[in-house]
Amino acid sequence: MFGGHPLFICLGGGNHANERQYMMLRKASALLVALAVVATACGSDKKTTTTTPAGGTTAAGGTTATGGTTGASGASLVISTDLPLQGASADASADTNNAVNLVVEQAGGKAGKYSITVKPYDNSTAAKGGWDDATCAKNANDHVANKAEIAVMGTYNSGCAKIEIPVLNQDPTGPMLMVSHANTNPGITKAWDPGEPDKYYPTGVRNYGRVIATDDLQGSAGAQFAAQDLKVKKCVVLNDAQTYGVGVASAFASAAKKAGIEVVATAAWDAKQPNYTALFEGFKALNPDCVYLGGINDNNGEQLIRDKVSVLGPNTGTVKLIAPDGFTGYPTVQKLAEAQDMYITFAGLPASELVKAGGAGAKFVADFKTKFGHDPASAYAIYGAAATQFIMAAIAKGDGTRKGTLAAAFSGITVPKDKSVIGKEFGIDKAGDVTVRDMSIQLMKGNVETFLKAWPVS
Amino acid sequence: MFSSTIERLQPTTPAGKKFARYTGILAVLVVAWLIPNYLATGTDGPLPLFTVVLCAVYALFALGLNIVVGFAGLLDLGYVAFFLFGAYTAAWFMSDFFYQVNPRDPSDKQFAINFHFLSTASADIKGIHISFWIVIFIAAGIAALAGLVIGAPTLRLKSDYLALVTLGFGEILPEVFRNGDDVFGYNLTNGTKGIGPVDKIGMGFLSRLPGIPATITSSDYKTKYYVILVFCALFMYASIKLRDGRLGRAWMAIREDELAASLMGVPLMRTKLWSYAVGAIAGGVGGAFYATIVGTVNVDNFTFSFSIIVLCSVILGGMGNVWGAVLGGIAITWFNYTGLVWIGTQVNKGFGTSVDLKKFEFGFFGLVLVLMMLFRPEGFIPAARSKQLKKADKQVQSIETAGAAS
Repeated sequence: MFGGHPLFICLGGGNHANERQYMMLRKASALLVALAVVATACGSDKKTTTTTPAGGTTAAGGTTATGGTTGASGASLVISTDLPLQGASADASADTNNAVNLVVEQAGGKAGKYSITVKPYDNSTAAKGGWDDATCAKNANDHVANKAEIAVMGTYNSGCAKIEIPVLNQDPTGPMLMVSHANTNPGITKAWDPGEPDKYYPTGVRNYGRVIATDDLQGSAGAQFAAQDLKVKKCVVLNDAQTYGVGVASAFASAAKKAGIEVVATAAWDAKQPNYTALFEGFKALNPDCVYLGGINDNNGEQLIRDKVSVLGPNTGTVKLIAPDGFTGYPTVQKLAEAQDMYITFAGLPASELVKAGGAGAKFVADFKTKFGHDPASAYAIYGAAATQFIMAAIAKGDGTRKGTLAAAFSGITVPKDKSVIGKEFGIDKAGDVTVRDMSIQLMKGNVETFLKAWPVS
Repeated sequence: MFSSTIERLQPTTPAGKKFARYTGILAVLVVAWLIPNYLATGTDGPLPLFTVVLCAVYALFALGLNIVVGFAGLLDLGYVAFFLFGAYTAAWFMSDFFYQVNPRDPSDKQFAINFHFLSTASADIKGIHISFWIVIFIAAGIAALAGLVIGAPTLRLKSDYLALVTLGFGEILPEVFRNGDDVFGYNLTNGTKGIGPVDKIGMGFLSRLPGIPATITSSDYKTKYYVILVFCALFMYASIKLRDGRLGRAWMAIREDELAASLMGVPLMRTKLWSYAVGAIAGGVGGAFYATIVGTVNVDNFTFSFSIIVLCSVILGGMGNVWGAVLGGIAITWFNYTGLVWIGTQVNKGFGTSVDLKKFEFGFFGLVLVLMMLFRPEGFIPAARSKQLKKADKQVQSIETAGAAS
């Protein structure tokens, strides 16, 4: 009676073996569909931020190789950005692209005699909800292959940078310059883990710089602040078991010991746990007076903060809460009641301080708001603009080739104070680290991150 | 009626079909050659060479899983484990990882091994550096061993229970590697920091041939493509030979009815273990190759979604069909890495919209799978056996309908 329709044949087969095979197919596919639906539900709740790149990808991609290599006057060069445009960091990345475009636009689209366009790259995949290593490898090779590209602004994640730097370093026409606005892992420029940093520079020439201070300094700033200003004695140091989190937590722990704080417990939190009450209950007996969250908020940070408060008491009470910049720039954290009165260190100065300081930094933040209708979603957007300014200074001094631009970048050039979007003259040293090491302590108050004080680091 | 059905189920190859088959293989080879030389579109466009290479890697993974799921009928949701072992083997034997001397304190060292063998790495980079072509065999061996270890305790389990246990293994192993930077004080996996850079592939004596470089540089996707193509071709050949051989028929007997197979004298344990081991080899080889093209092995990369994507490839292509698995792997990888973005760009260009199709990736996957299950549950290229079964089924149905009508 159901004859003819393929669906009924496959579902209603009388043959035993046949039925078994289709049952298995159906089970497997039902499972897959269910998983796919769950994943979609998780992935699609991010609000979409539309970016309007001033340069536009097609225009940038259309420029031919001739300009990039000959260095003739008026040649068109491309600065590419390499950011995770999907997942939890999408908002910060979108605004970083906005800021980069704005800073190029404000310079009249010119660096010296070269006209500049911006080409955004995405190093994330939706499936991962963040940066993807294969995509980073692809982007790195694409930067090298696209002859009009002169330098790269990025990446956001240090892990991605460690994949891209060796590829750019071995560019036959380079090495190619890369300047990051957000990589805080020390190992990229400093002797940190075995083989670092030399293993990222196979040709022996440094081609990487950053305009932000590293995690080791951020951990020290957090620990020194805790010891001197908060006068805490016993700290619990947590990490999220990822590269950044482990690095910044161990930097905090070692600086804390030096500053006279006892580290009573170190532990990793599992981002997949529904709650952390048991974790914090375990610390109660140790009588800590501070908890340090080494990690990023993406790893279930809000739940962690909630449970810290529910078990160990409010952040204004005996147990203080300190976190690194992995918790800055998240509106959801800022609005969380339990997150109020937590301290956050930030490797750099927040937008609010730039505005207060006046000058070029304040003007840039104001211009950003005028153009895009909101403040930058993350202070990293400003540092993205700073990195672009530095790249443009290198291009202006260089000869229009990748090699020449790189040499200019490491020749001690700086972005002058009257132009710098971070309000201070800055450049990079021989290792590639930024010459200005601003570190700030922020306090969560009234649903915003408020600047508490600058913390000098040596 | 019944005897004719059985006859149809016998593998038959008439002379005419043989000609068609060889023509088909030739056509595939021609297309495979055309891709890097004429069809690929540089860095952007619908077919960047990097995506082509990744497609081939995933096709290899799909071939491996096809043996476990398609041939032997063991639903494996933890294929990521074999990918992980392959990638880490390459990382261990092709990087500076085992020269662990703290640069800030030279007295702090765990391993200080410096061993170079036919490697492309320069002599002043310490650590273990062995030729890729040897590491491939080590990776295949370690993955096969892992297949046996994972397979052995799951042998008593069937269908859903088996799927759950393999899923568990796939989830546990990355956690073990994530925490493997302190195994009784020894750093074996470098934890969350990952291992890298991984050495490049050397071509040895083959570089004397024209057009083949001595070392495959990171941007030389064409040579990488040919290397992975050779692995795919070898594994396809092996799959087909195994399928048609004694072991393959034993796998299919188990897939159809385990009890009947064991009564017919098929050694269940050995046969199932073989399927895990052979399937794992493809994962290990693919993983090691993947490590060299990306250049770093990062534990965050080994997620459950990888197992799902490979399983999707096998189901989409046609469970149990070698060509189907390859096609499924290529289709899904292309969709994942380039297709969606490219289609999105074309749509936005054509209609002046600004839709980010990539955000709906899993939605599309789900939709495609639902449609496939509704209209073509046997996959793009169904296995010969399910095609014949369906035909036989139709005949039985029509006879039954005729009987009922009369």
